[in-house]
Amino acid sequence: MIDFLIGLFLATLITALFTTRLYRLLWWYSLNSLMLGFLALFIGRELDDKAMLITGIATIIIKAIGIPFVLKNLSQKFHFVRQVIPRIKVQYAIMLIPAILVFTFYLSEPITHMIKSNSNYVAISISSLFLSLLLMIEHKNVAPKIIGFLSMENALFLLGITATEGMPMLVELGIFFDLLMAIVVINLLFHKEEMKV
Amino acid sequence: MIAYLATIVLLFLLAPILLSFIKALKMVLLFKKPVSVFQGYRNFSKLMHKETIISRETSSITRYAPFLVLSPLLVVMFFLPPVVHGAYYVSFVDAFTITGLISLSTFFLMLLGLDSASAFGGMGSSREAFISALVEPAMVLTVFSVSMMAGDLGVGQAGVNLAEHFPQEHMASFLFAGISFFILLIAENGRIPIDNPETHLELTMVHEAMILDLTGVYLALIETASSVKFVIFASLFVSLFIPLGLEYSTPIAILVFVAKLFAVAVAVALLEVNTAKLRLFKVPNLLGISIVFAFLSLITFYVLGA
Repeated sequence: MIDFLIGLFLATLITALFTTRLYRLLWWYSLNSLMLGFLALFIGRELDDKAMLITGIATIIIKAIGIPFVLKNLSQKFHFVRQVIPRIKVQYAIMLIPAILVFTFYLSEPITHMIKSNSNYVAISISSLFLSLLLMIEHKNVAPKIIGFLSMENALFLLGITATEGMPMLVELGIFFDLLMAIVVINLLFHKEEMKV
Repeated sequence: MIAYLATIVLLFLLAPILLSFIKALKMVLLFKKPVSVFQGYRNFSKLMHKETIISRETSSITRYAPFLVLSPLLVVMFFLPPVVHGAYYVSFVDAFTITGLISLSTFFLMLLGLDSASAFGGMGSSREAFISALVEPAMVLTVFSVSMMAGDLGVGQAGVNLAEHFPQEHMASFLFAGISFFILLIAENGRIPIDNPETHLELTMVHEAMILDLTGVYLALIETASSVKFVIFASLFVSLFIPLGLEYSTPIAILVFVAKLFAVAVAVALLEVNTAKLRLFKVPNLLGISIVFAFLSLITFYVLGA
């Protein structure tokens, strides 16, 4: 089941890379976070870790429902361009994405020897880190870049829950607080964007 | 042996029903009065009684091609994974053979489109060539990666192995292959995001453009071929990616199999209602996603073993 969810996590991220519409991108980000939340719940149940269950529920509420909703409202308020075309053409992306995946899978091989359980998950989370970086690179507009940033945070969270068998609760809540700060900063950026127009 | 032949006959009889079912479900969802599930049979018998007229410009290809479109697909039906436990099946036929036979059928369909020398036929054929050239690599990669997970290159044997021992540890790569194959199922059968099977509008036609000049028996053959193609893809999808129910007794196993086929039809109908048709030059994007997922499934399996 965890393999299935981690597959869906990577699948939603890759689909987001090919998306050309802003709301569709938000939808894929929301699904991506939902899968992450379910993963945290499943791993937490396996390890019998109450803190991870709480973080899983917080992930689903904040990242899968809250942040996409807020971003959609903001982009409606500031009349953002809803057509976000990736700057990297699709025919190059088809070659680039598998290349990145192969590269990161081999890159993370030395690390996976060090971790006893769930060594595959580390490789997948590192590759999703690179894919979110690609999502940030391939767009010109602010809004998709923010989605890229948030997906990168998701990938780090996945690395945290799979590689360490549960971080301290305080760290994870700290990350959530960071994220909220980031949303405030994003709001300011949106204001600035609007003033330019 | 009886179960094997009975399955093939069942699939052949189910083929028009499945397509009519998709149409009926779409009409219900759009608040129209739905067509009967047996509309496929009615169309077939109507076309059989009609006079067959062939354009004067055509060569003998038009007379042979409808049979050559249907026959490779009928051959593929003999190579599908078994439906009931202990049934006879062909174990040695691999992904290349099945893809090759399907593209042979597509080749004759394209020739048929070109042969009538109408502008529409050539346009439809060129579009079909454009789409099927992108479908084939993804299809070979996907079926190959599933065969790797099942531990056998033969498609029939792979279906049996998957039903007996489901690869829990390869769930991630299995999922990627499943997504890729579902996109291929839609693309190769000309369903809505790629091609609209119901319009005769020149901008959107791919499949309809090629068979615009056909009448009577030949049209009936081509329509049978397209429904058989759908049932081949659907049954490959359900026996490779939803490998459940093979261990039950024969009648229940067949019921489960038919229920899975109808579930695929429901999924296709829901997708068709909810999406708009893609522009032709956006089609490579969708098929590109499919190729990426097929490749991803293969490398996830090889490098990570997940």
